[in-house]
Amino acid sequence: MKFDDKIPIYYQIKNYLYHEMLTGTLNPGDKLPAVRQLAVDLTVNVNTVQRALSEMITEGTIESQRGKGNFVTADTTRLAQLKEQLVMTQLAQVYEQLHALNLTDEEIIASLKRYIEQKGAGQNV
Amino acid sequence: MSNVLAIQGLTYKRNQKLILKNIDLTLETGKIVGLLGENGAGKTTLMRLITGSAQGSGDIMVGDTTTATARKAHVSFSEQLHGFNKNTKISRVVDFYQTVYSDFDLSRYHELADFLQLNGELKLLALSKGMREKLIIALTLARQTDLYLLDEPFGGIDSMSRKKIISSIIQWKPDNATMLISDHYVTEIAPILDEIVVVKDQTIAVHQKTDTIRSESGMDIEDYYESLYAGGVDHD
Repeated sequence: MKFDDKIPIYYQIKNYLYHEMLTGTLNPGDKLPAVRQLAVDLTVNVNTVQRALSEMITEGTIESQRGKGNFVTADTTRLAQLKEQLVMTQLAQVYEQLHALNLTDEEIIASLKRYIEQKGAGQNV
Repeated sequence: MSNVLAIQGLTYKRNQKLILKNIDLTLETGKIVGLLGENGAGKTTLMRLITGSAQGSGDIMVGDTTTATARKAHVSFSEQLHGFNKNTKISRVVDFYQTVYSDFDLSRYHELADFLQLNGELKLLALSKGMREKLIIALTLARQTDLYLLDEPFGGIDSMSRKKIISSIIQWKPDNATMLISDHYVTEIAPILDEIVVVKDQTIAVHQKTDTIRSESGMDIEDYYESLYAGGVDHD
């Protein structure tokens, strides 16, 4: 995978794993690849993978089992929270950018609806 | 965390000319560190001082040893194979390494050679630039030691060879060993570096964690590095 070298790599590894967890490549309770394997797969440093995993263990999205490895949490409530958090982060960016164009909240909602309708119409062709 | 390398007040002159002055540098165990600087900045010289094949004034400690001869045993340096006859087969070079270095691990070498697709029957003169660099990497990483010094392992080689070498570094660097990799073009290795050290104006201008640079400056590592030469970034 390609990383954006302007953004801390550990942060991008976390986002990569979140994506794998929320799109079902990694399911609740699944074992994660070994740290060195992840480092090789992503072409990053083992220490950087370790940092990303440590933060995810602290926040409860993955669990470390001594001698067995790291697992996606089986706590689906926690995963639902994670998803909500990621959705809100994405929306916050869009909201800030549209707000910067002097759109009101109502106009932002209306634009978003219009966008989705047009996108849907485009796909039906 | 303990240190694998501690340099204090190192100064080196060659023919009355000051090459490096007042170098202080400490590297922790288990890191991959990029050694950056322009051609001629003294990157190779600094590596040769660490291995003990060049002598300066000041203190260099590798692990818990300070003398040049004792240091050699703790450092694996990517030698450029200049001492070998062009007709030497790779397998003979491997025999030589095994004889000279007691920490040379033959099974480790074979794993690396398989991964990098090195054929032991080939003679040195038959090797492409990329193949030659792969051989140097395999020989250097096959030693089991605390500190690895890779001097410009990506100079003038194709991108496939480069990727293979980067991958072998990630796979074969022992957890507790530290690796110092010199390069003057950082983008290709930036994602695997914990820290960078920049040699500029005969001394260490910067020693910083890469993710700290990214989060504090918002710049990629190459831009940050180049900004040091434009004089645009404050670094203390």
